[in-house]
Amino acid sequence: MTSAQTSAQPASQLYPGQERFVAPANEVKLEAVDSVDEDAPALGMWQSAWRVLRKNPLFIVSGILIIFILFVALFPSVFTHVDPRYCNLSNSLRNPSAGHPFGFDQQGCDIYSRVIWGTRTSVSIGISTTIFVTLFGGLIGAVAGFFGGWVDTLLSRITDIFYGIPFLLGAIVLLQMFTDVDSIWKLVATMTLFGWTEMARITRSAVLEAKNLEFNTASTALGSSPARNLFRHVLPNSLAPMIVIATLSLGQYIVSEASLDFLGVGLGGNTVSWGVDISNAQTLIRTNPMVLFYPSLALAITVLAFIMMGDAVKDALDPTGRTA
Amino acid sequence: MGKYFWHRVLQAIPVVIGTTFIIYALVFLLPGDPVKAMFRGKAANPAVEAQIRSQYNLDKPFIVQYLLFLWNALHLDFGMTFSQQSVIDTIGRAFPVTIKLALMAFVFEAVFGILLGILAGLHKGTWYDGVILVLSLLLISVPTFVTGYLLQYFVGVKWGLLPVTASAAATFNDLLMPAMVLGSVSMASIIRLSRSEIDTNKTADYVRTARAKGMSNYSVTVRHILRNSMIPVVTYLGQDIGALMGGAMITERIFNIQGVGNLTYQAILRGEAPLVVSVVTILVLIFVVCNLLVDLLYAALDPRIRY
Repeated sequence: MTSAQTSAQPASQLYPGQERFVAPANEVKLEAVDSVDEDAPALGMWQSAWRVLRKNPLFIVSGILIIFILFVALFPSVFTHVDPRYCNLSNSLRNPSAGHPFGFDQQGCDIYSRVIWGTRTSVSIGISTTIFVTLFGGLIGAVAGFFGGWVDTLLSRITDIFYGIPFLLGAIVLLQMFTDVDSIWKLVATMTLFGWTEMARITRSAVLEAKNLEFNTASTALGSSPARNLFRHVLPNSLAPMIVIATLSLGQYIVSEASLDFLGVGLGGNTVSWGVDISNAQTLIRTNPMVLFYPSLALAITVLAFIMMGDAVKDALDPTGRTA
Repeated sequence: MGKYFWHRVLQAIPVVIGTTFIIYALVFLLPGDPVKAMFRGKAANPAVEAQIRSQYNLDKPFIVQYLLFLWNALHLDFGMTFSQQSVIDTIGRAFPVTIKLALMAFVFEAVFGILLGILAGLHKGTWYDGVILVLSLLLISVPTFVTGYLLQYFVGVKWGLLPVTASAAATFNDLLMPAMVLGSVSMASIIRLSRSEIDTNKTADYVRTARAKGMSNYSVTVRHILRNSMIPVVTYLGQDIGALMGGAMITERIFNIQGVGNLTYQAILRGEAPLVVSVVTILVLIFVVCNLLVDLLYAALDPRIRY
């Protein structure tokens, strides 16, 4: 393995494609390789993930963005004093002016104020849907994977059936019955109903894997009940893939909400929402593209932040992809 | 393989029955009367109304309605639309357009997604890897309808390169831009998927073994890294065919394409329940069949799956 042996071989014995770089043996001092602090406490999965995360620029950028977005969603009045629902037709499509940096839309509403207030709608729909999908899909998947047998067969078939309905199609068929309801909860409920299957499948396979680990058998031998085993040992060890799927899909739910608004089966005119504003601005793209641009930009930045966060979390929680 | 094949095919039957039942129940059990929708709120002659109810089996108990629907669907008999045209003919006119659109989007996302994904994955850390990654993230975070309107405005209206909306004939040129819009989000997902797969497989044990054997870099890349990275991509592509048919609803609306998406959308707006149920049932069937084919293909590609 030393460089002396390799370089001692005559060059004529090397075949094409075999020319490989061999590091000289004295390049890394042995002390440097062995300089691991053996007395340091062992890091758990979450601590080691946090160590990787906080060094990841993707995490830092998306983290700052998400904190900012959450702040805007919680305290929109810090950023604007203009009422997003105050619309004056005489202001229709007016250019930006002092106090109204983005100008006015067709109804004469202040675009900046609507973009700021719309954050709350999109973010609360995205977060609520993710929470319900994680709880419901996670429960179904965990029960199916943990108990196995006919419970697994039944729950897996139900999952297959809901998985067989395309998300957008199912959502439109259900939502068109409730076009007169103007509440974010109808969207949260619909997206949960047609979106929980992936979470259930991921959780089921993670639980199946964790169930057969030794500590679970040990815990049973010590007299733990199945329920205690599930909640104390199996679920905490299957959380990583669930968290990855949850963060990555949060952005997708925000996009879906806007798409359903666009198709006219989402929120009504009384809720301030980016999706509704983009949908209303679609006819103006040739004359006033900026009316379409601002809510789209806000939507894109929000979704981008959550997807980047999902990528960073995925890198941190999955040690197989780690190179160093 | 034979046993696995029949196992999977038999498993698909309860799924088809379950999905059609849920769609049927959503449309007919929830509030909203299709016959009232047909008369647009005006009072109808009770005799006419009763006759229509019996034509659409609406006078029978729900479960009988569903079983009759399923039985007729097996014979490809989906009844009549509210304007008394055969549903299957109406769908038959719209389907070829959507299939053409979905196939073009499929080819677009497969070719460009895989090529860009391989390029980025093999050369991780280069400037073009960065560009490709940012492009894919942008395509995922901007909703399809915004991408669609932007492309329509610039490529169609401003530069006049491609038709702004599709003609009734729906030629290749008409559908080029809509297909790119329809396939763009999936293309971004394929780029991300193949990039991360290649990146994981580059450091896999069998790649190190192959290199240690003295295999050339080209053979290692093509035979080991790429072949193994493509398995999940093939799965994704297969499942996407069904999703594309559903997602066509947005694209067809932007570009005014007279396909299944537009047909479904109009039928939903009119409250024309029998047509909605028929189209959605066919789309769900396509989706389930595609998933089944992918599972079978997967088993053929990866011997570990078979049991």
